[in-house]
Amino acid sequence: MAHLFDPARTTHALILYLAAALVASFLLLLALHRLLGPRGRRWLVVLVTFVGGLFFGLEWFYPAHGQPSKNFLTDWIEPVSNMLAVVGAFTVGLGIYSLTQVHGRNVLRRRIGWHNSAAFFLAMVAMLVFTLWEHYLRLPQPTPKLVPWPKGVYEVLFNGIFMPLQAATFSLLAFYIASAAYRAFRIQTAEAGLMMAAAFIVMLGQVPFGAWLTSALPEVGSPLAFFRLEKLGEWVMSWLNTPAQRGITFGIAVGALAMSLRIWLSLERGTFFSEQS
Amino acid sequence: MGGSLEHANWFMTVLFCAMSAVIVASVVLAQRGRAMFIRPIPGLAAIDEAVGRATEMGRPMFFSTGLHGITIVTLQALAILAHIVRLAAAHATRLIVATASSTLLPVAEESVREAYAAAGRPESYRADDVRFVSDDQFAYALGSIGIMARDRTATNFFFGSFFAEALVLTENGRALGALQVAGCPDPTQIPFFIATCDYVVIGDEYYAASAYLTREPTLTGSLVGQDIVKAAIILLVLVGAAIATYLGAGDAGAHNALLKLLAQGG
Repeated sequence: MAHLFDPARTTHALILYLAAALVASFLLLLALHRLLGPRGRRWLVVLVTFVGGLFFGLEWFYPAHGQPSKNFLTDWIEPVSNMLAVVGAFTVGLGIYSLTQVHGRNVLRRRIGWHNSAAFFLAMVAMLVFTLWEHYLRLPQPTPKLVPWPKGVYEVLFNGIFMPLQAATFSLLAFYIASAAYRAFRIQTAEAGLMMAAAFIVMLGQVPFGAWLTSALPEVGSPLAFFRLEKLGEWVMSWLNTPAQRGITFGIAVGALAMSLRIWLSLERGTFFSEQS
Repeated sequence: MGGSLEHANWFMTVLFCAMSAVIVASVVLAQRGRAMFIRPIPGLAAIDEAVGRATEMGRPMFFSTGLHGITIVTLQALAILAHIVRLAAAHATRLIVATASSTLLPVAEESVREAYAAAGRPESYRADDVRFVSDDQFAYALGSIGIMARDRTATNFFFGSFFAEALVLTENGRALGALQVAGCPDPTQIPFFIATCDYVVIGDEYYAASAYLTREPTLTGSLVGQDIVKAAIILLVLVGAAIATYLGAGDAGAHNALLKLLAQGG
């Protein structure tokens, strides 16, 4: 049954699949819109949420056999995940609509900085046109030495402008880390003092200078070996930092479980479904 | 049963069922009127102060939902957002929401619209104020900083999944003079938020937020259930460590058998 969702093998089958999916989706949405009132739609959301959660939960917890381990639901995981991806893909249009709405108003009303919004439209259209053009461009074989101009423009836009801008923003992190660390390490409270001391030990433990500072201490065979900075730094990371991180992770996992249960059983009514009675 | 991580083993199943049962039982007890104590969480108590500051300054607030689409983390962020929207509506303060996921956008819009309606001010909802900025990490960060700078936001909230862009966002927000409240369940990002924000909600406090803020019985019960489960896990860790230490020191065969039992489900 899960093979029903396998990719179409021929162009004709693909077109048929697409047309059938579009018609079926349209009819389903129309029927839901006409037949269900706000209360009915709310119950539909509750039902779909429950069934979705039950499906993934059962697939994980139901006894599985073989190698790779499978149960009666495992074959459905990929088609269902693909369906979710398709639904997600439809929302790209909503994203573009939101951007167009916000920036369109800026341009039309000549708000302060409207030229930035105009630049957004220019960039969006240029990237859209040249990316699609580049994607569907059929290069003659063997590939000519001179790159066709649509591909050249795409290269300039993506690799020449977009990627360096991203790298430049990422590189700012170095300066932000320095300024944030300076603020964090100002010893104003006992906790900040402890943090400074821990950071001092760990940082020195990572560099040769730190090892040199305590090189006079024996490496093994003496309790003093523990106080070599590289060993002290490792001890702070393994015995203080790791348990704290694991403790936080346990708390997060339990919190996520509680939240998942509330969503799955539609108990979080005040937030997503309706006010709690 | 399967021994790989593709499926749960019997130990995971039993643990999951027991933890779920405790949480659901707490929720049911709270719904039946059992009074429950919630521990104070300073980061969440600061949300009222943050909204009040923006109101006094007559400037808008900014809320970032982080990079992810619809996940448990972002759904919790939306629950916090709904509470902030209600406060904003009560104080007639503008709130701008920026998402990095087009999938999350309609859910966020609906959540904000419903929160304004619940606060009795549906007319305060402005479609422009819930925005999709970009699904690219740094484009989202720069777009969000642009919003903070242009609209001179007095308060910035960061709740959701954040990565390297967290520091870019919060350092700029700080430079712009905004009061900042952040919450993130990821332990690797918490230090950056602590260094740059005025108040931070860390670890499981993040998932306690909606209960703490709304005090609704269902959510309060869930939070108390969460705390009971956490206490049980701490006990389990201590007992496990004691057994492993005892067996490890003496009977290596029993020690290995116990580890195999827990890891592979027998």
